[in-house]
Amino acid sequence: MHLPRFTYKKSDSLEETAQLLSRYDTGACLMAGGTELLPRMKYGLAMPEVLISMKRSPVSSPKIGSDGDLVLSPLMTLRAVEGSSLVRENAPLLSEAVGLVGSGEIRHMGTLGGNLCQETRCLYYNQSHSFQFKKPCFKRGGDICYSIPKGKECWAVFMGDIAPALYSLEAKVKIMSRDKTRIIPIEGLYRGDGKKPLILSPHEIIGEIFIPGSNGLRGSAFSKFSFRGGLEFAVLSVAAVLDMEDDGETCRSARITVGAVAAAPVRARCAEAGIEGKNISDRSLSEAVRQALDEIRPVPHHGQTSGFLKESLKVQIRHALSVAAGRVKKD
Amino acid sequence: MKKKQGRQLIELAVNGEAYELAEEPQVTLLEVLRNDLELTGTKESCGTGECGACTVLIDGEPVLSCLTLALDCRDLDILTIEGLAKGGDLTHVQEIFLERGAVQCGFCTPGVVLATTALLKATSRPTDYEIKKALEGHLCRCTGYNKIVEAIDKVLTDGYLVNE
Repeated sequence: MHLPRFTYKKSDSLEETAQLLSRYDTGACLMAGGTELLPRMKYGLAMPEVLISMKRSPVSSPKIGSDGDLVLSPLMTLRAVEGSSLVRENAPLLSEAVGLVGSGEIRHMGTLGGNLCQETRCLYYNQSHSFQFKKPCFKRGGDICYSIPKGKECWAVFMGDIAPALYSLEAKVKIMSRDKTRIIPIEGLYRGDGKKPLILSPHEIIGEIFIPGSNGLRGSAFSKFSFRGGLEFAVLSVAAVLDMEDDGETCRSARITVGAVAAAPVRARCAEAGIEGKNISDRSLSEAVRQALDEIRPVPHHGQTSGFLKESLKVQIRHALSVAAGRVKKD
Repeated sequence: MKKKQGRQLIELAVNGEAYELAEEPQVTLLEVLRNDLELTGTKESCGTGECGACTVLIDGEPVLSCLTLALDCRDLDILTIEGLAKGGDLTHVQEIFLERGAVQCGFCTPGVVLATTALLKATSRPTDYEIKKALEGHLCRCTGYNKIVEAIDKVLTDGYLVNE
């Protein structure tokens, strides 16, 4: 498969990239690792006139900021995040999630920011369309949905693994453009719209990622379900964090985020509220799973039905919560 | 639409040899290796990062050459399957793959051998889990996975020899 033609620019800093994006307006696209953008270009889903490559640009190392947050550069490769002892000590959930993204080769290439900014996906959308589908779907600018034939909107699903982990860690991201920067909670990055999943304008990029430190007993776990391991995207992913009281048995606060069920990661807020203030036991965890299943309705994808995904979700949430409860310690 | 960029000069270091080439921006490293340098050991299969057949080592790390732009490879050390054997002597990993029948149709083999070589350089005694994790991005349509893992186990029991 060949790439379409484009003009190539190399950028070595995020500031320079922001300048270039602003200069070329909507015709330019940032490429960090290329594992998301280049397949989209080969399928004709993205046709930037100018491609700004930040491949192997200098990357600042992870550090602890003055307010105790773990500060990460979006240009870190997933492999670098996986191998960082600072990340492992301060955000073991992120280390675990990063290790489950794609294959080793993808992790050596793909970056943290690129994973957060990936597009929503669908079996019908993410393939070459020229010979199979006559009419464009909603995401290609048309007015039909091949995934859900009677659908009145785009039902593409966000399948990234890092975003659910960052939701549960209550991370923040710095959004920057040439003229201004702003810091928003990670939830604010996603619109929940399959057709246009990110709030970023064509001039904006992610500048930094902040993960608050935990002071107290915490257990966390990331659980991912896929049919073919590193060869494909998540069918479901669950990121669970349990912050405990000093007794080590009562849950002070819980955060359960589910990925690959909608156009953005989804927090199981009723389940979280249900578990808070309770002792962690088989019973309370099972009750949390039941509540989560009441509030989350997976969009069918990967050729699977919503019913199958819901049954699988039951297993994944329960697994993540049990493992998180078993890992409760000061971290 | 504005006129698109033409060819740009790049210097590539492939298997220890320097090449000077003029490439258009949309050309991938895979296309350069196969079409310009005639190093056809690196295979194209899916072209979208799912199968691992096009894996090469860049600065010792396994990456997908089908998703790497040639222009992004300036000043990097690229190793393809052709660069492993020195003077006709196969590396220990290649010998054991042959001996143990870890090659069937052979299409995924260059990628698997390179990923294995990178793994054994990074981790001297990988566990079975680490071996499978390192190879999880390699699709073998002959489904010869067990033989591949057995071959790597054999390399480990022999004591890994870096053939350099």
